[in-house]
Amino acid sequence: MPTSSNNEVLMELSGVRKTFGTIEVLHGIDLQISKGSHAVIFGPSGSGKSTVLRCMNLLEEPQEGSIKFLGTEYGPGNGKDDVKRGKPIELRRKVGMVFQQFNLFPHLSAIDNLALPYRSIRGGSVQEAQERAAHELNKVGLLKFATNYPSQLSGGQQQRVAIARALSLDPELMLFDEPTSALDPELVGEVLAVMRQLAESGMTMVVVTHEMNFAREIGDLNVFMEAGNIVATGGSDFFENCTNQRAQEFIGSVL
Amino acid sequence: MMRREEEGVAPINFMWHLVWDFKWDLFKGLLTAVNVSIAALILSMVIGMIFALARMSRFKVFSIFATVYVNIFRGIPALVSVIWVYFGWSLLFGHNFTVYQAGVIALTLLYSSFFCEIFRSALQAIHKGQREAGMALGLTRGRIFRSIMLPQATKIAIPNIGSMYIGMIKDTSTFAIIGMVEVVRVTQNLNSTYFQPFVLYTAAAGLYVVIAFLVDFIFRNVELNFSYPPQGRIAKFLSRKKKKRVEGLMKST
Ligand SMILES: Nc1ncnc2c1ncn2[C@@H]1O[C@H](COP(=O)(O)OP(=O)(O)OP(=O)(O)O)[C@@H](O)[C@H]1O
Ligand SMILES: [Mg+2]
Repeated sequence: MPTSSNNEVLMELSGVRKTFGTIEVLHGIDLQISKGSHAVIFGPSGSGKSTVLRCMNLLEEPQEGSIKFLGTEYGPGNGKDDVKRGKPIELRRKVGMVFQQFNLFPHLSAIDNLALPYRSIRGGSVQEAQERAAHELNKVGLLKFATNYPSQLSGGQQQRVAIARALSLDPELMLFDEPTSALDPELVGEVLAVMRQLAESGMTMVVVTHEMNFAREIGDLNVFMEAGNIVATGGSDFFENCTNQRAQEFIGSVL
Repeated sequence: MMRREEEGVAPINFMWHLVWDFKWDLFKGLLTAVNVSIAALILSMVIGMIFALARMSRFKVFSIFATVYVNIFRGIPALVSVIWVYFGWSLLFGHNFTVYQAGVIALTLLYSSFFCEIFRSALQAIHKGQREAGMALGLTRGRIFRSIMLPQATKIAIPNIGSMYIGMIKDTSTFAIIGMVEVVRVTQNLNSTYFQPFVLYTAAAGLYVVIAFLVDFIFRNVELNFSYPPQGRIAKFLSRKKKKRVEGLMKST
């Protein structure tokens, strides 16, 4: 079991089922994310990795199951109605998400990509929002590109702005959906460096990735998915000592 | 010319000076056309946007209503619309619109259906990741619409809004029938006095063409100002001010 399981559980999925139309793509997912842990989800294409991640901030609403975050229940629940229910927007304000396609706002400069959401959620002056935005851009090494528009940034720079944008709202949990898959190989490193730094700072992270070396480096909870199920999980030693044959085959094919 | 005289046809005498003599009448007609069409443009855009949202709504009642509206009104010619509004309305409800009101209403009825479609396709052209990014950040639906969807949709729609507006100006020509003194009505009046259809209608055509060029020029500038990074003069001026402030921040961070 992962070493972090002793810690406080930040997010807990139990029995999460998701159906698109008539097709069930998640068949009851159970997963605990402890505070400060770094979970890595991997598995073949179409296995439901993105969908699990998107259920964690309710971009997808599960049909069944419970999503508990910081003691509040957000999913459809599991019958026990003694828990406090939260609104999706409250969950999303505490959970940051980074997308494969960056999804920066193309009509706003880098700094306004951070300042607009910040000010909209926190209120305060434009000056305050921009100060915070500048601070976060500085942390990902992009302050000097603050006035550039997304179209004037490389893919790697765009993704770093997207990470800074999510971090500017002080999330408790960060979700990454294949953050480097859309990047040219030579730009992958700079994004992984920012994520590594974030992991070292103690941020709780759930990362869907095909970068197995990176997964091996930061993952203290490794989750292998196949066909809508979690097939195998393990701690930091997962890549060496995993006994599940499908997971072994998959790791072998990607490495 | 020689041949026509030989055939015993009266020589054509183009009285081009008429255009100059009555330039102010023609110009006033043009102003009326522009006036009516701009009022209708603004109304159609607002109503069109509301219908676009209704058409994309989760609520069936709204989307069915908007779809029916669009399909009815985009099929009606302006001439029919204005006659119906001007004469039909007073017959049915005993309320008379002024010529100006009838023109604005007639155009708005038609063009709000076109703008509904323009805005709907512009909103749908925005990558779905934009809405999702807004949601993932915890922005409200209203904020996502106002600050993320609307600016991007407007930019996409601008060239289409321009060509719609040229269509609106042209449609004002049918309002001569209810007695609106716009370009065609002025031309008709002059023609009934001077019998110079070729000269007068050429002048009228010229006026519409000039307006079309002007509208194209204006809308291309608007588009530049809405593009990112900013390219138009106004947007560049505004972004320079912003840039200065951010540069101050960059030094202090
Ligand atoms: N919006 C949707 N509508 C219908 N089906 C969907 C939708 N989103 C995902 N699916 C289906 O759900 C299944 C899981 O998709 P998901 O995107 O979670 O897989 P994934 O593991 O992230 O794959 P990849 O590695 O390709 O990103 C797939 O079969 C996919 O076709
Ligand atoms: Mg995916």
